[in-house]
Amino acid sequence: MSVVSPGAGAPNLSSGAISGRRRFSNHLATAFIALSVILAVIPLALVCYYVLAKGASVVSWEFLSSDVPRSPRREGGGIWPAIVGTLLITGAAALMAIPLGVLGAVYLNEYGKNRPLARVIRTMADVMTGVPSIVMGLFIYVAWVTQVGSQSGFAGALALGCLMLPIVIRTTEEILRLVPDDLRQASAALGARRWRTTVTVVLPAAVSGITSGAMLAVARAAGETAPLLATIGLVYTANYSLMEGNTALPMLIFRNAAQPFDPAQQRAWGAALALVVIVVAFTIIARVISSRFAIKDY
Amino acid sequence: MNRNVLSRRVLAGVALAALALAGCGNNDEEPGAGDSSGAASEFADLSGELKASGASFPDAYYQAAIEGFAEVAPDVNITYNAVGSGTGKEEFGQGLTDFAGSDSLVKEGQGPKAGEFLYVPTVAAPITVSFNVQGVDKLQLSPDTLANIFSRKIKTWGDAAIKADNPGVNLPSTNITVVHRSDGSGTTSNFTKYLDAASDAWTLGSGDTVNWPSDTQGGEKNTGVAQLLKQASGSIGYVDLSDAKATGLKFAAIKNKDGQFVEPSLEAATAALEGAEIAEDLSYNPLNAAGAQAYPITSPTYLLIKTKYDDANKAKLVKGFLTYLLNDGQKLAEGEDFAALPQALKDKALAQVAKI
Amino acid sequence: MTQTLEKPAPPADKSLSSRGGGATGDRVFAALCVTAGVAVLAILALILFTTTQQALPALRESGLGFFTGADWIANDPDGDGPAGPTFGARAFIFGTFVVSAVALVVAVPISIAIALFLTELAPRRLRAVAVTVIDLLAAVPSVVFGLWGILVVAPALVPVYDWLHGAVGGVPVLGSIFGPPVSSGRSFMTAGLILAIMIVPIITSISREVFNTVPSAHKQAAVALGATRWEMIKGAVMPHSFGGLVGGVMLGLGRAMGETIAVALTIGAATQITANVLQSGNALPSVIAQQFGESSGVHRSALIGLGVVLFVLTVIVNLLARVVVRRAEIRMKGTAK
Repeated sequence: MSVVSPGAGAPNLSSGAISGRRRFSNHLATAFIALSVILAVIPLALVCYYVLAKGASVVSWEFLSSDVPRSPRREGGGIWPAIVGTLLITGAAALMAIPLGVLGAVYLNEYGKNRPLARVIRTMADVMTGVPSIVMGLFIYVAWVTQVGSQSGFAGALALGCLMLPIVIRTTEEILRLVPDDLRQASAALGARRWRTTVTVVLPAAVSGITSGAMLAVARAAGETAPLLATIGLVYTANYSLMEGNTALPMLIFRNAAQPFDPAQQRAWGAALALVVIVVAFTIIARVISSRFAIKDY
Repeated sequence: MNRNVLSRRVLAGVALAALALAGCGNNDEEPGAGDSSGAASEFADLSGELKASGASFPDAYYQAAIEGFAEVAPDVNITYNAVGSGTGKEEFGQGLTDFAGSDSLVKEGQGPKAGEFLYVPTVAAPITVSFNVQGVDKLQLSPDTLANIFSRKIKTWGDAAIKADNPGVNLPSTNITVVHRSDGSGTTSNFTKYLDAASDAWTLGSGDTVNWPSDTQGGEKNTGVAQLLKQASGSIGYVDLSDAKATGLKFAAIKNKDGQFVEPSLEAATAALEGAEIAEDLSYNPLNAAGAQAYPITSPTYLLIKTKYDDANKAKLVKGFLTYLLNDGQKLAEGEDFAALPQALKDKALAQVAKI
Repeated sequence: MTQTLEKPAPPADKSLSSRGGGATGDRVFAALCVTAGVAVLAILALILFTTTQQALPALRESGLGFFTGADWIANDPDGDGPAGPTFGARAFIFGTFVVSAVALVVAVPISIAIALFLTELAPRRLRAVAVTVIDLLAAVPSVVFGLWGILVVAPALVPVYDWLHGAVGGVPVLGSIFGPPVSSGRSFMTAGLILAIMIVPIITSISREVFNTVPSAHKQAAVALGATRWEMIKGAVMPHSFGGLVGGVMLGLGRAMGETIAVALTIGAATQITANVLQSGNALPSVIAQQFGESSGVHRSALIGLGVVLFVLTVIVNLLARVVVRRAEIRMKGTAK
């Protein structure tokens, strides 16, 4: 069969047919897009560079294990109380928010589905992710700290928990939606109750997604400063109790960022490095878990 | 900064050595404290916790005193949180803290109730007017010029009024950036009180915060102001001497009541204290003091203590700490760039503490 | 041959299920889940209720002037001047608005471009790298951005601002927007730039989702008609995605309005209303963060009042954004997610 070559009236499909103006605007758009990607990478690279360069010069085992100096102009000292505080408070917040969030997502996906109440809760959970973190801190200050009378690590954990709750609910709901219905139906056919199905079949199938969502929420909470401002007070030595005042890495950075003394600024960079390492580690592990152990389609 | 650390450690060591050595002699400097070796062992027996908060102005000195006290009373854990005089008074009034630090006096309806607390003067220090102007190392300012700069009636460094105060100095014509406190502060209170008293050109009143003109900058705590001054060229602001020196700022000599331009220093502060009148409740006002050597912007600072503590151990702890602070603790003041109290005031303060 | 099936014995109880106990187990669990879900609503309602209650003393004192007054004096000064504390949030509302506007102007074009890159242009391997970069950008805590901003960016931008002011100072409108810069570098502009970096991830991810839903039939038709890639994007992708993009931008706006720490450190702390973005100002969340630790009494109530204002504003923006995004999704996919 012979190939039909385009006749005289057929369109010219070569790229030469595009007018100069059109070609130019195409190239311009492509250039702008490429430039934008670079513009997004530059700040990240700069921040990482500064945190690494300035933080690494001050971080050492001694730095990580010493107490916070009472006077900001003192050399030396360390961030151990802040690390303890961050781990304690974020851990407590996770313990409160993750079970509650998973149960809420179970309600939205298994029981509520498209009913009006579930739709309202879904919208409000989205809205709640947008509530400024400082408002969460003020809320817990008003509702808990003033009632109890003193600031405490627990109050900070409550504030961070409120912050984490909508994130956990939304990510868990997305994951539960991905669990194939066949699993639920098979379980029901075997005679299991709804709750039994959910707890023993659906949740385990979704556990990787739930874990990764929870870790992202924890990473976000560990980096938050504003909710802790009004709720946890200040200490200079490590405090292992949640019921008294405490300090945390973001608070330490915030306090030292506005100091004129070099030792204080260096401690801030060191603490920033520690915080970034923790947060990035959680984020990367979360992404790895969600991609490696994703729910397979049956 | 290293010098401060070194000299503070040396002074703390000297204080300890003095305590130990003074055991055999009588100390006629401390009529109320009795035998010093008794005092040393008295501190060593103390144990417990004290919570305190308040002014950031004397924070560097209080932290040094707390650390010095921890060396003679190792079982006592004291936390002083520099949140500002206003919050310090509130928390003390609500019973959240055992004592409070404040540069300003307690007003009606604010903090503890009258009759339930006592003022204990602790140290004093100059409030410097620090500046950051390229090419200018020394500056002299009169109260009227100062008032006009901080109320933004004078906007550039090359203004005639500044030139008049500084004959022969080459001033650039850059804009002035005024830096003040963004938080409620006893330092602001004392600085504006001084401007109120010393200059008729000052119309913004005085207080823990005032209505600064909108094109000025705010820094949080003395250290935030110091940081801003260091970073912004052409700026001027008020910072306590301790932080200004530690940050490496330059400060201006201010014209005092006697017409002399005096630089802020511990000697000039002490000179201002000696002229000040002490009220019944031990509050005193060294601002705009008379005396040729006096630095006019010297700020007092107090610790507020309860007249009666429900917990007897707390009363002992507070008494112990304050006694230490007013005796050997005073030696630490100079290392942190604070002026120790003159003898008469110190005796009255010790008597006040004994009332608990 | 028929197989005889053994007939199973009839179940002892009427309900066919035997695993998991009776109906009470189900009811208890369901109740637990409903409570957890309703907790979200309860918390939101509690936030509004309790914070407004605590803010009442200040609101009563200042009345409507709380929202419209331009002065913010926290303690009552002695001597000349107003007799009591004055709380007026106008300068802070203005500051929030300006900083968010700067952030959006910078972030939106960049985010949309990155989203286009990820959906249309990128080869697969580069796409994974770019997605990782955006994720990491979202993961960096805001206090680290603030630290970097106040110690590195603000001083570094001072000569840039000086040059900018020198270059456009004479031009009528631009000259007043880029007026004399503040010498510390802490200004609306610096805070806005840092904020832009922080909201790029959220706008990018929403835009990506939106662009992914464009039917490839439309895109292929455009290309078949001879469109260049840019023309295909302009003609087939953009009109389809416009609603979703608006929603994404509004979500970015909500995030920008609520960002506290990075703005608190880089905006300077001046209570001023000025068109000059190179000057210092203050924004709602940052003034709360700056003044809360030292506040007491009516001052603290006033700060909580600012928190209420901020809460209401961000809830409204977020609600509108979600409505816009849902509406666009319905239009595109035929059903809500």
